[in-house]
Amino acid sequence: MSRLSLSVVGGYLGAGKTTLINRLLSGDHGLRLAVLVNDFGAINIDAALLQSASADTIELTNGCVCCTMTGDLFYAIGDMLDRVPRPDHLIVEASGIADPAKIAAVAQAEPDLRYAGILTVVDGVNFPRYAADPLISDQVKAQVRCADFVVVSKDVNAAAITSLEAGGIHHWHSASDTALIEAMLLGDLDVSAPRMDEANGHRPYVQWSTDAPPACSRAQVDAMLATLPRGVLRCKALLPDGAGQIWEIHAVGQVHEVTTRSNAAQTGVVVIGPEGAVTLTEIEAWWAHHTHAMS
Amino acid sequence: MSDIRVFRARKIITMDPTQPEASHVAVRDGRILGLGDDTCGDAWGTVTHDDCLADAVVMPGFVEGHAHLMAGAMWAYTYVGFHDRIDPDGVQWQGVRDADAMIERLGAAVSTSPPEAPIFGWGFDPIFLTSERLNRTHLDQVSGDRPVAVLFSNFHLMCVNSAALAMAGYDASTNVQGVVKGPDGTPTGELQEMAAMFPVLRRMGIDFRTLSQSAEAIESYGKVAKRAGVTTITDLYSMLEDEDLDLMLRLTGAQDYPLRIVPALGASGVPQQVADKALALKARATDKLRLGAVKLMTDGSIQGWTARVRWPGYVGGQPNGIWNMAPEEIFAFTAEMQKRGVQMHIHVNGDEAAEVSLNALEAAARAHPWPGARHVLQHCQMMDRALFARAAELGVACNVFANHLWYFGDQHASLTIGPKRAARMDAVRTALSEGIVAAIHSDAPVTPLGPLFTAWCAVNRVTMSGNVLGKTECITVPEALELITMGAARTLRLDSEIGSISPGKRADFAVLGGDPLAVRAMDLKDVPVLGTVFGGHVHLS
Repeated sequence: MSRLSLSVVGGYLGAGKTTLINRLLSGDHGLRLAVLVNDFGAINIDAALLQSASADTIELTNGCVCCTMTGDLFYAIGDMLDRVPRPDHLIVEASGIADPAKIAAVAQAEPDLRYAGILTVVDGVNFPRYAADPLISDQVKAQVRCADFVVVSKDVNAAAITSLEAGGIHHWHSASDTALIEAMLLGDLDVSAPRMDEANGHRPYVQWSTDAPPACSRAQVDAMLATLPRGVLRCKALLPDGAGQIWEIHAVGQVHEVTTRSNAAQTGVVVIGPEGAVTLTEIEAWWAHHTHAMS
Repeated sequence: MSDIRVFRARKIITMDPTQPEASHVAVRDGRILGLGDDTCGDAWGTVTHDDCLADAVVMPGFVEGHAHLMAGAMWAYTYVGFHDRIDPDGVQWQGVRDADAMIERLGAAVSTSPPEAPIFGWGFDPIFLTSERLNRTHLDQVSGDRPVAVLFSNFHLMCVNSAALAMAGYDASTNVQGVVKGPDGTPTGELQEMAAMFPVLRRMGIDFRTLSQSAEAIESYGKVAKRAGVTTITDLYSMLEDEDLDLMLRLTGAQDYPLRIVPALGASGVPQQVADKALALKARATDKLRLGAVKLMTDGSIQGWTARVRWPGYVGGQPNGIWNMAPEEIFAFTAEMQKRGVQMHIHVNGDEAAEVSLNALEAAARAHPWPGARHVLQHCQMMDRALFARAAELGVACNVFANHLWYFGDQHASLTIGPKRAARMDAVRTALSEGIVAAIHSDAPVTPLGPLFTAWCAVNRVTMSGNVLGKTECITVPEALELITMGAARTLRLDSEIGSISPGKRADFAVLGGDPLAVRAMDLKDVPVLGTVFGGHVHLS
C-alpha cells in the first residue's frame, strides 16, 4: 500500500486555518483527502461532495473530514492509515496553540506516512501583538519557525512584516492563493513524466525538472540536498547510484528522505518552489554545480 | 427479613463533627439511617445485625478527586515501576530496582503469554535506575525476536528492544526527532514523545484510547478503587463518546460495581459545543456515573519543564513551559462554562497557569455571577498564599497534588524550581488557612491510587531521600483525613451525599485494618485497607 502523505496546517487561533482547509477541500486536485480538524462546525462542505455525516466523521465522495481531540490525535492519524481505501493525502489541523512540528514528526517516524510539509497560517493583522505577548510569544513564533511554508491571511501590515522578519521569516505568501498552496502541499511531483508545460500560462510557482541525471554517490546525494536553494519547497528525485540501484529522494523543506530501490524505474529530478522564493536560475545553477561534481 | 442492616465495627470514624466516632452504623436502601451503638437502627424497625466489619475500622468511603480510568487498565500489561504496587486482583508486585530485575520481570511475561501478545512494561521511572540509562540491549535480553517495550511512568517516553526498533523501521539511517541515537549512530531504543513512540505502539496494538475506555478498564478501575478504600473517583479528561457512555452506564449500573465515577469531559475545540455536550451528558447522569463537568488542560508538568511558571522560572534556565490551551482559550472556555452552569476542573501545575486561570475565573465571575460554581483548580503545585487567597475570594476550590512531594520533591528542589519554591509546593496548610475548599490527590496512574498514602504525603511532606520539604506546610492527620473524604466530596459538589458517615448520606465506607488516628503520622500510609462498602454492599478484598 502506498504511503500516506501528511501535511500539518498550523497557526495561532483565528489565523485562518479552517478557511484554508475549506478551500483545499473544495479544490479540483482530484485527490482523496482526509482531514483532521478541531472544529466541525466551521467546515463548509459542498452538498455535492457530502456522502454522510456522523458525530465525528463527515464522509465525502473524495475523502473524509474527522473531528479529533488533542489527546487522540496520533491514534486518529492511525485510523486514517487504516481506512480502506487509504486516502491520498492527510491534512491535520493543529490546534491554535499547538506546535505543528510535534505532530508532523510522526510523518517522519511512521513508515506508512510520508512527511508532506508544515504550512503555518499567520494572522497578518494580529501577529505582532501575539509575538509580543510574553505569555504566548514563544509558542506563536515557534509555529512560524518550524513551517516549511508560511502564508499570511488578512492584510499583512508593516508591523507584521517586521515581526516575521525578526523571526527569520523572509518569504511568505497569501493565504488566499489556493492555486499555489495546492501545488505546494498536494501537487504530485512525477519524476517519470516531467511536466513540459512550463510555457502554458502563468503559474504562481517555479518548477524545474530533468530526466537525465548522472549517477551519483550517497555523499553526493547528501551534498545536493544540503545545498538545495532555500526557496525550494519540495524536491523529488530518482538518481542512479552507478551500481544498478536507484536513490529515491523526497525532500520537503529541511526534511530529506533518501532510500534505495532496485527496480530500474525512469530516473529524473523535479524541484518546485513558490515564485518569489526561488528562481529557475538558482535551481539551474545548483544542478549545474552538482552535475559538474558528479561527472 | 428486615431491610435495615446494622454494621458493628471496631471503630467508626465518621468525619462528622456532630458525632466523630461510633461503634455501629445502620443502613437502609443503600443509605445511612443512623449511627451510635447497637440500637442505632431500632427506632426504624426490625434490624439485622452484621458483624462482618466487627474487627475493622470504618471511615467514609475515600473520594479521589483527580485520577484517570487508565489506572486500572494499565494492569493488562507488566508493571516494572520502582515502587511496590498492588494490582486490581490484589497481587503485590515488588518494585523493580535494577535492570536485571526488569529483564527477569519481562522475561516472565514472555514465557507466560501467547506469542502474539505484546511484551509491554509500564510504570518505569529512569530516575531510579541509577547505573545506566535503560536501552535496547537490556530489553534484547528479554527477547531477541519478540518486540518488547517499556513505557515510562510519565507516559512521554519509552524504551524498546531491537525487534521493536526493526518493526518500526528505526535504524542508523533514521533521522527522526525523538528517536534517540547513541555514540555509534544507532538507535539506543529510547523513544521520546508520542510521534516517535506511535509507530511501535501501533504495531504492538496498544491503543491509549482503549486503555481509557473499555469494559476491562472500567472493571479494573472498580477493583483498584476497592483496594484503596475509594468509593467515589474521578476520570479527569474523558472523551465520553456515545458508545463509551453506553458502556459506562451499563457497567457502573451493575449492582455489584463498587464505585461511583465522576468523569470530566475533556474540553477542546469550541467552548459552546463543549458546554452543549457537557449539559447533554449531565441529563444522562446516574447515581454511579456523575456527568456534567469538564476538564481544561492549561499547562504541562513541572518535572517535564512544560509547566508555565512565573519569574524566576526554572533553575536550570530551561525556557518557560507550554500552554496546552492558549490563555485566550482559557478565558473563552471559562466564560462559556460559567455562563452555562458547567463546573470546570482546571489543570494548573505552574503558578503562571494558576494565575491566568484565576484571572479567567474572575472575569467569568464578573460577567456571569454563579456563587455556587465551585470550579476546581487541579494540581495547584506552585500556588502561593496570594493565589490561594484569590481562589478563596472567588470561591474556587483547590485540589493539591500532594503525592508529588514524595515522588518528585527531591527533583523539584534540585532540578526544576529550586529548594525555596519546592519548600512551598503543594501548600496544603496555606490553602486551609486561606479557607479554601481543598482536597489532595494521586493523579493515578501517574502515582498510585491510595488516599491514605496521599494523606501521609500531605501530613509528613517527606521526599524519597528523607528530607522534609517545607515543614510549615505540614498538616495534621485529622485534617488530611478530612481532605480525602469531605474535602474531595466538596470539590465534586457531592458533599451533601458522601464524604462523611452521617444520617441520610450514601452508605459508602472505607474498611480499614487499623485506626489512622491511632498510628504514628509516619505510619499512616501503612494502615491496611480491607475493602469498601458501597451503598450498603460489602466488598472486602
